[in-house]
Amino acid sequence: MFEWGSNPQFWLGLLQIVWIDIILSGDNAVVIALACRRLPSHQQRVAILAGTGAAIALRVTMATVVTLLLEISWLKLIGSVLLLWIAIKLLAPQDEEGGEGASIGNLWQAIRTIVIADFVMSLDNVIGIAAAAKGSVLLLTLGLMISIPLIVFSSTVILRFMGRYPWIVTLGGALLGYIAGEMAVTDRAVTGWIAEHAPVLHIAGPALGIVFVVVAGKLLAARAARPA
Amino acid sequence: MLKVLVPVDGSKNSDRAVAYAIGFIANSKTPVELHVLNVQLPIVSGGVRMFFKREDIEAYYQDSGQEALRAARERLDQAGQAYVQQVRVGSLGETIADYAKEQHCDHIVMGTRGLSAVSGMVLGSVATKVIHLTDVPVILVK
Repeated sequence: MFEWGSNPQFWLGLLQIVWIDIILSGDNAVVIALACRRLPSHQQRVAILAGTGAAIALRVTMATVVTLLLEISWLKLIGSVLLLWIAIKLLAPQDEEGGEGASIGNLWQAIRTIVIADFVMSLDNVIGIAAAAKGSVLLLTLGLMISIPLIVFSSTVILRFMGRYPWIVTLGGALLGYIAGEMAVTDRAVTGWIAEHAPVLHIAGPALGIVFVVVAGKLLAARAARPA
Repeated sequence: MLKVLVPVDGSKNSDRAVAYAIGFIANSKTPVELHVLNVQLPIVSGGVRMFFKREDIEAYYQDSGQEALRAARERLDQAGQAYVQQVRVGSLGETIADYAKEQHCDHIVMGTRGLSAVSGMVLGSVATKVIHLTDVPVILVK
């Protein structure tokens, strides 16, 4: 388990969590901006407060549940596959599909949209944080505490910054790949076998995670760039 | 007739580029058609798009773009300068260069942040990208 301060592992874990928080929390600002666009300004404030409160509550609940689940055999393996998918989705070019959502005319619809969208999108963030925390309650709590101001004060500045400097996202995707690999090799179902037969997987797993994510992301980008 | 494109992001630098363009046009012997363009980065991710209507997302980009163009519009209206305004969504350098090509612009006048040598190399700038991608002369205003 991690110790405060003296352990470089702790700081490395914290750095990973901050990075994940930054790249996976920014969407919240756009969701709120889009959901509140047509509301009168006094209702906008209510929707923002309710939406932000719900986002925080969802994250804390889901992070706790995810951390508990990761103790169960096989679930880390499943989690790492999910994380690889999240990472590839992050690096793959955004499709222009979608845009089929409901029209938002009143306060209730705005809040409902913010909460549902938050539920789906905080899942990315929570799985990432839980995996990077590696069971450390301290790191998990810090990760959540850092993500909360990012949600509350979230602005599209972060997203614009990521849009201008894509390497931030690429590095984030690689980081998620690394964490996914690390998580896969520590699943209870496989640790015994790995320790006995293939201890090299402790290094190779994370490395393969990075390679897999970056290569898959590049391939998808190349496919999208090809004229149809 | 000359067509001049001024990409605008609402910053002081882009404001200076607009001011320069107004002077440039005043001194030009041939009539000039001025285009001001704001490019919005595609910040609405695939995950977010699921929850909203296409028209709302487009309107959101247009609103943010109009907001970024406001200072330029005020300056141009004050100077009595006619202009065409446009908001596009895409990556900054590519979209500016594409617009210039599509509209057959003869010049691009743009502000530059004047990054230091090191950060300029690491981060690149929109101006660098545009110069790289376009065939027309680019006037950089610092």
